[in-house]
Amino acid sequence: MIILASVLLVAAIAPKAGAGATSSQEYQVKAAFLYNFLQFIGWPEDKSADNNQPLTIGIVGKDPFGDAFEPIKDKKVKDRNVITKHFESFEELKKSAEEGKTRKVEMLTKCHLLFICSSEQKNLKEILNLVKDQNVLTVGEMEGFLEAGGIINFLVVENKIRFEINTSAAEQAKLEIRSQLLRLAKRIVEGDKKTESSEKAGND
Amino acid sequence: MPILRNITIKYKLILIIMLACITGLMLAGAAFISWEWNTFRSNIVRNVSTQAEMIAENCKAALAFQDAEDAKVTLNALHVEPSIIFGGIYTKDNKLFATYYRGYAETETHPDTLLDKGFNFDKGFLNVFEPIVLDGEVIGTVCLRSDLSPMYAMLKRNASVIIAVLFFSSFIAFLMSSLLQNVISGPILSLAKVAKAVSEKKDYSTRAVRQSNDEVGLLINSFNEMLEQIQQRDAELVDAKEKLEVRVEERTAELTTTNGQLTQEITERKNAEDQLRRAEEKYRTQFEGALDAIIVADAETGIIIDCNPAATRLVDREKSELIGKSHTILHPSERVKGEFSDTFSLHITEKRGQTLETQVITKTGKLRDVAIKATLLEFRGRKILQGIFRDITENKKAELRQVHLLEQLEKTNQELKDFAYIVSHDLKAPLRGIKTISEWITADYSDKLDEAGKEQLKLLASRVDRMHNLIDGILQYSRAGRVDEEKTVVDLNKTIIDIIDLIAPPENIKITVENELPTIECEKTRISQVLQNLLTNAIKYMDKPKGLIKIGCVEENGFWKFNVTDNGPGIEEKHFEKIFQLFQTLTPRDEFESTGIGLSIIKKIVEMYGGKIWVTSKVGDGCTFFFTLPTVPIAVDK
Repeated sequence: MIILASVLLVAAIAPKAGAGATSSQEYQVKAAFLYNFLQFIGWPEDKSADNNQPLTIGIVGKDPFGDAFEPIKDKKVKDRNVITKHFESFEELKKSAEEGKTRKVEMLTKCHLLFICSSEQKNLKEILNLVKDQNVLTVGEMEGFLEAGGIINFLVVENKIRFEINTSAAEQAKLEIRSQLLRLAKRIVEGDKKTESSEKAGND
Repeated sequence: MPILRNITIKYKLILIIMLACITGLMLAGAAFISWEWNTFRSNIVRNVSTQAEMIAENCKAALAFQDAEDAKVTLNALHVEPSIIFGGIYTKDNKLFATYYRGYAETETHPDTLLDKGFNFDKGFLNVFEPIVLDGEVIGTVCLRSDLSPMYAMLKRNASVIIAVLFFSSFIAFLMSSLLQNVISGPILSLAKVAKAVSEKKDYSTRAVRQSNDEVGLLINSFNEMLEQIQQRDAELVDAKEKLEVRVEERTAELTTTNGQLTQEITERKNAEDQLRRAEEKYRTQFEGALDAIIVADAETGIIIDCNPAATRLVDREKSELIGKSHTILHPSERVKGEFSDTFSLHITEKRGQTLETQVITKTGKLRDVAIKATLLEFRGRKILQGIFRDITENKKAELRQVHLLEQLEKTNQELKDFAYIVSHDLKAPLRGIKTISEWITADYSDKLDEAGKEQLKLLASRVDRMHNLIDGILQYSRAGRVDEEKTVVDLNKTIIDIIDLIAPPENIKITVENELPTIECEKTRISQVLQNLLTNAIKYMDKPKGLIKIGCVEENGFWKFNVTDNGPGIEEKHFEKIFQLFQTLTPRDEFESTGIGLSIIKKIVEMYGGKIWVTSKVGDGCTFFFTLPTVPIAVDK
């Protein structure tokens, strides 16, 4: 049921995501949002112990960003550099893991933020399972992402990029989400209960 | 401050106190209001700034995630603060991201300019700007705009309270000063009253009453002392005034006298000036009208300053041709040595004031003889030489002619004298021969000659004698003008006795000297001849049996007048002139042997001395010959 709804949602967004110039503008915003998420999320100490280490944004699946990170790649967040890492599809990762090459999977779990592309929808559960105890902020852009256990999911409302948050997933990942960020979420999912926060903040 | 000068001390005091009070109150009020204004302002700035900071913090995420709705929600919290009329969130590139309005039109409320941080006052509004910072990066700005009119209203209320207090305080101050000024002005006013009374009534015996021990009390004391002194001075003054009046009268009298003298002096001076002017006019008239040429020249340079018409005629030049020129233009070049003519040089040096003769030259080159008398004068501090030129050309010619004529005359005279002498002398020799021969004939031929022959020979001898006498007379006459003899002092009383002795008059004729004769300086021979001839004539022609001849002399008009009077036949009046002519006798030759020369010789001698000779007579009674000689002898021209 949920999966179906997610599929439908993604199907609705997908054509927009792939639409040329607009999509590149959209992904520039999304890239900026990813950086901003880093600002408003607190990681447990063991994940952010070494301040000299850069914050890592991982992108798994078929990368829709293109060069959207270019304008902001030198920007620092909390005095730390930010780097992006691209991973092939989860299937490829699995394959290489089976071949004994676990380093890439390890790297995946080491990311502070993992963007799961729409192309990995079928592997979503597996990916989320893989990283759910690894203090990784999972971000997606597909229907049912939160229900699948993702933490933040991008939405498009009235042509604007918005997002929704699964606080229980975040708790599980031991991530602290700032209230300001929470307030901006269109929908907050707490455990199995759903709260329509967008209803109260919507057209005020 | 003329008003301040003219009002009374009472009002001055009130005015001063009021001014001080009001000034103090106003300063205090102004200080209070400005302090309150500052406090209000800083309070409101702080208040609004806090709000802005809060909003900046709260809308950080909304801005980061471009959620305008959320930002607006944040801004809406501003509605608790009624003075904030606008809140705006601007993006990094100053675009309005979210807004909040309270009651005003949107456009009016936007700030004109945006600041990064801080505040400004703008048309009665306060704008506060606060940057929105995310992780050290400015991502936008919050702007809050606050209406200041509530603050102004509050200030206005406070100000009106202060003004009310000011008026009330002024009123109280006025009341108090009106009451209290009397403490100071009271004594002064009473002193003034006393002073006025003193000055009006001139009663210096009045005294002011001292009421206090302050400076006014001191003033009253001094015033009283002063009054005392004035009283004293007044008495002295009256005394002095009387003395002064006497002195003034004296001075006035002196002044009147002096004035009179002055007037007299002025009159005298005026008269003197008139005289001077008349003298000048007179001089000018004489100068212009003089027959002699007058030329005035500068004594130092020789430049001609002035000349009269006679001068222009003298040298045939116009006045303009002479004035300003050197005087050397007047003189022929041989008489000009250097800068000055010789005459000019002499006149200004050793021959000052003398008359010098020289020549001037006319415009046409004619020479004229002139006599110049020059005077050196001082005129307005300048030495000038005034020369008077007399044209003596004609005089010179006449003089020359005269000299020539005289020379000729003298020569002729001499020749004549010589001729007479030679002739008479030479004629005598043959005459003497004829006489000798006639005597010889008479002696040798007395016997042969008859009576008639003898008579004729006698006649011949007598004629020869007459001829001889005639020649002698001529000789004497000519000698009278020729003989050279020294003049001596002659006492005529002695001389007359010698002459009478020499003549030896006959017994019947008596000669008397009537009075004392003078002693004169003359040639003795000549004066003797005069007297001898006159006596001889008187004796010769005596026709009376008893002859009387008188000699006398009187002084008359600077002359000695001599007279020789006889009682002879007398002379007819018609012969009075004739008898003094040469060779004139009144009787026939045969009656009296006379040559007719004697009186001519007398006349010649008397006239030579500058005297005269004449005769008075009555026929039959005798005659008187008068002759005169000057008492001061004149030089006889030989």
